Amino acid sequence: MLELRDVCLTSRDSPRLNHVSLTFRAGETIALIGPSGAGKSTLLSIANGSLKPSSGTALWQGTPVHQLPRRQRRRIGTLWQDLHLVEELSVAQNINCGALGRRSLLWALANLLVPLERDACMTCLKQAGLQQDLIDRSVTTLSGGQRQRVALARLFRQRPDLVLADEPLSNLDPALVQDLLNTLLRQTPTSAGDILASTTVVCLHRPDLIDRFDRVIALRDGHVVMDAPSASITTKDLDVLYRASSEGRRAAPKP
Amino acid sequence: MKRPVVSAPLLCLLPALALVPVLIVVGEGLHGGGFETWWRFLQGAVQPSKDPLLLKSLWEGLQVTLATALVGWGLSTLIGLLLGVFSSDVLWESAKIPTWPAAAIRSLLALPRAIHELLWGLLLLQVLGLHPWVAVAAITIPYSALVARVFRDQIDSIDRRRLTAVLQSGASAPAAFVSSIGPPLQPILLSYGGYRLECALRSATLLGVFGLGGIGTELQLTLQSLRFAEFWSGLWLLILLSVLLEQGLTFWRHRQQTNPSQWNGVSVLTMTVLAVLVGGHWLQQLLPTSGTTLQLMLPPLPDISALQLAATELPWLRMIEQTMRLTLLAAAIAIALPPLCLLIFPGRIAKQVFLGLWTLQRVLPPPLTLLMLLLANLPSLALAALALGLQNAGVMGRLLVEGLDQQSPGTMKAIEVTAAGPRQAWLLGCLSPQSRSYLAYGAYRTDVILRETLVVGLVGGTGLGWMLIESLSSFHWAAVLLIIVCFALLTLAGESISDGLRQRWLRTPGESAST
Amino acid sequence: MSAREHRAVVCLALLCSLSTTALPSWAAETLRIGAIPDQNPEKLNRLYGLLAQELSQKLQVPVRYVPVSNYPAAVSAFRTGGLDVVWFGGLTGVQARLQTPGATVLAQRDIDAKFRSVFIANTQSGLQSISSLEGLQTLKGKRFTFGSESSTSGRLMPQHFLQQGGVTPNQFAGGRPGFSGSHDATIALVQSGSYEAGALNEQVWTSALKSGAADPNKVTVIWRTPTYVDYHWVARPVLDKRFGSGFTTKLQKAILGIKPTTANGKTILSLFAAEEFIPASASQYAPIETVGRQLGKIR
Repeated sequence: MLELRDVCLTSRDSPRLNHVSLTFRAGETIALIGPSGAGKSTLLSIANGSLKPSSGTALWQGTPVHQLPRRQRRRIGTLWQDLHLVEELSVAQNINCGALGRRSLLWALANLLVPLERDACMTCLKQAGLQQDLIDRSVTTLSGGQRQRVALARLFRQRPDLVLADEPLSNLDPALVQDLLNTLLRQTPTSAGDILASTTVVCLHRPDLIDRFDRVIALRDGHVVMDAPSASITTKDLDVLYRASSEGRRAAPKP
Repeated sequence: MKRPVVSAPLLCLLPALALVPVLIVVGEGLHGGGFETWWRFLQGAVQPSKDPLLLKSLWEGLQVTLATALVGWGLSTLIGLLLGVFSSDVLWESAKIPTWPAAAIRSLLALPRAIHELLWGLLLLQVLGLHPWVAVAAITIPYSALVARVFRDQIDSIDRRRLTAVLQSGASAPAAFVSSIGPPLQPILLSYGGYRLECALRSATLLGVFGLGGIGTELQLTLQSLRFAEFWSGLWLLILLSVLLEQGLTFWRHRQQTNPSQWNGVSVLTMTVLAVLVGGHWLQQLLPTSGTTLQLMLPPLPDISALQLAATELPWLRMIEQTMRLTLLAAAIAIALPPLCLLIFPGRIAKQVFLGLWTLQRVLPPPLTLLMLLLANLPSLALAALALGLQNAGVMGRLLVEGLDQQSPGTMKAIEVTAAGPRQAWLLGCLSPQSRSYLAYGAYRTDVILRETLVVGLVGGTGLGWMLIESLSSFHWAAVLLIIVCFALLTLAGESISDGLRQRWLRTPGESAST
Repeated sequence: MSAREHRAVVCLALLCSLSTTALPSWAAETLRIGAIPDQNPEKLNRLYGLLAQELSQKLQVPVRYVPVSNYPAAVSAFRTGGLDVVWFGGLTGVQARLQTPGATVLAQRDIDAKFRSVFIANTQSGLQSISSLEGLQTLKGKRFTFGSESSTSGRLMPQHFLQQGGVTPNQFAGGRPGFSGSHDATIALVQSGSYEAGALNEQVWTSALKSGAADPNKVTVIWRTPTYVDYHWVARPVLDKRFGSGFTTKLQKAILGIKPTTANGKTILSLFAAEEFIPASASQYAPIETVGRQLGKIR
């Protein structure tokens, strides 16, 4: 589905990636783990085409992602760590941002006046697990958890095949974490149209939830250091991953 | 279906609707005869006159304008800072004195602020005669009041707990005031101080257009006598100076922001003092006043019956209506044009082209823009609004781009990867996060535009401005007095409305958007 | 304070007071001449630069030309003492003299006693030659421009004749006339078609035709006004006090003495479009004052 082929990134202000080659296959749920600064977010940004690698390519079904036509690009959805909602707008208008890939500029302008296609927004709201009466609220008035759900509803509206989620769980209560994971990872529809996407890649700061995923990819200092089914990962592996990195940093402090 | 609520980003663009009637009127007013004149005008841009005598006099004019701007800026910043401190409640509270003097100073400052620097210039010209310092005074008086207001707002919005803490530690009131209010005031001193210098240069040019000397006078006279090659020589010089000044200030601000030190504020103050001393000396060198000492030569003051007569003679309703229409149209153009341009052409090259265009729009005083437009167009209120709107669009445009450049690119990226087109992504990812502060500035700008209607009114034959120049040229002091009072009242009303709007836009979005 | 310090302070004080008295007296020697800016600045600079030179030679005092960029500013500068001698138009001269009691009329040009304005029209406007005051009615509903709002030949007298012909300014297209700002600009704006018709100083029109600035295929004269009195030199009352008694008379003689026999004189007179300067009196301008009061330009 999406393939990273020998991707390198050398840049001053973002963590570097070193010759990363990976394939996300259709239907998989993948946990991307590693200590902070390992290059997880960078990897996602390259995968969704918002960052161009210094060398190597990210391919979506054989085509480099930054060359994809708009129609195809819509199929890669991203849940950002900082959500990046449009703060000036209401919930429905934010959800509609997910539909921009299929709509004209005029539609986008009209949406700024009256939220269009409210029924579709309502459905997405429901799918994301938000109360329907929030639809006309301004997003700034919502709680952190609700905001995350709006971002999720925006993704539902986008209807992607692949979802890249950048640390969606880091600022949530434990109860909400389970809730969100359920929404993100549900791959068999409970009711009609309830699937977010067939394939999901989630960056995780902590490794304690990896048993919810099919596959685990671990990054350290821009290298893929582990790529295995989650069932085969032991706590020892994880200990090594996190400790090694902190030791390495202590031994050779960055200039 | 929900009731439509105009969201902030749309409100930045919606005023563009005002362009429709304006462009229809202006389009109807176009005439073929003017194209030939315009062609000659454009030829002048490419082939400006290089006559050494002309260049010498332009160079002198440019120096006069710059020196005037420097002195006016330096004086007004210093005086404004002092007045700002004394009109703040905090100062009086810290000394445990009742705060009514602060309120008194504030209300006294409303009047000098409400009268445009050009009006001050024309009035002082009547009272003091032709003197190089008239232009300086015309800039200093309203600017001091404006600066005082900005500083006062800043001082009173600073957290007072710090001051209380310092006071309780036993420091004297003045020491406590300086040490707790000084540091938070520095950034505003830096950014606002620099901005005022750019304004001062624009004002000094404008005052020249109305005969108070400097490059503005040269530009006005050459354009009016249709000597385009000579006009462009002056304009190119002025553009060069403005760009250098703007770039220099941006560079300086940037450096101070990246290496903040507690000497920043002091360095601004040193600069203002230097500006006054150097500029003053320069002005004296350039324009030896040959003995004319500044002296009050008051024109005969009108008595009550003359005032009553003038009050019944003046066409109040039409003047005020025209002034308001001019303000609204020009404000709509100024606010909507920059985002509209960037929305239609979201590319990086287009942005640079627009930035260049906006610089030109800013540099050119509106009366000259209007004269240029009049070469190929019939006179109308719409044309005057266009001239005024274009200059302010130049200011708004730069501000918008600065805001956009400082904003984090996150939202833009997030919208882009939903596969939105570049225009949609710009609309929602770039403009939307910026829209509230842009609108808040737009409200402030509208207030400025209301003051500036005077300037195009003088040329375009519309509104209070025109009536004022007619009364001044007839030396009809009763009418002049009444029009000034009316204009000041209008400006004060406009100021309070624009303040309200600005507060509304600067509040957190949820409070106003969902209601 | 020691005696020595004391002396130093006294000396310093003396010096300061001396310099303050010296400053104005040193400067007062300069005679400042000015003119209403009715033509392009380059021409004004050339003309008055030459004139300043000529007068300085004849009067043995430094003479400086101070450019002014609008009519009311010239009047105010004259009133407040920024300008000593000014070449005023009819209206501005009357305004200036009313505001500066004691100011004297020095001279006018030979052409000023019988001055005229011309009404010009764009050839495509369809406006025909006008033969009588009533004929001015054809201008109703047309786009019409005056020159500067304080100009005698570009505004006051044309408006006066229009009123006699039964046309008020609000009967033009758009409910008001335009004010181009100067005679040259009026020609350009009518020629380009911005305005269909306009009024200006006949002398400027003639020289524009000669120099080619006006194209007779595009713009023509449709009416010449009756004659009236216009431009004149006016001097401030205090000149005798500042430059010695009899100075005003000397100045008047110097102006009247500019003759085409000298090279300088010839250039100056040709730039003024005159044969010579002739004496003038305040009473000649009474009709202008009357018209000014009628039209509200003099209060």
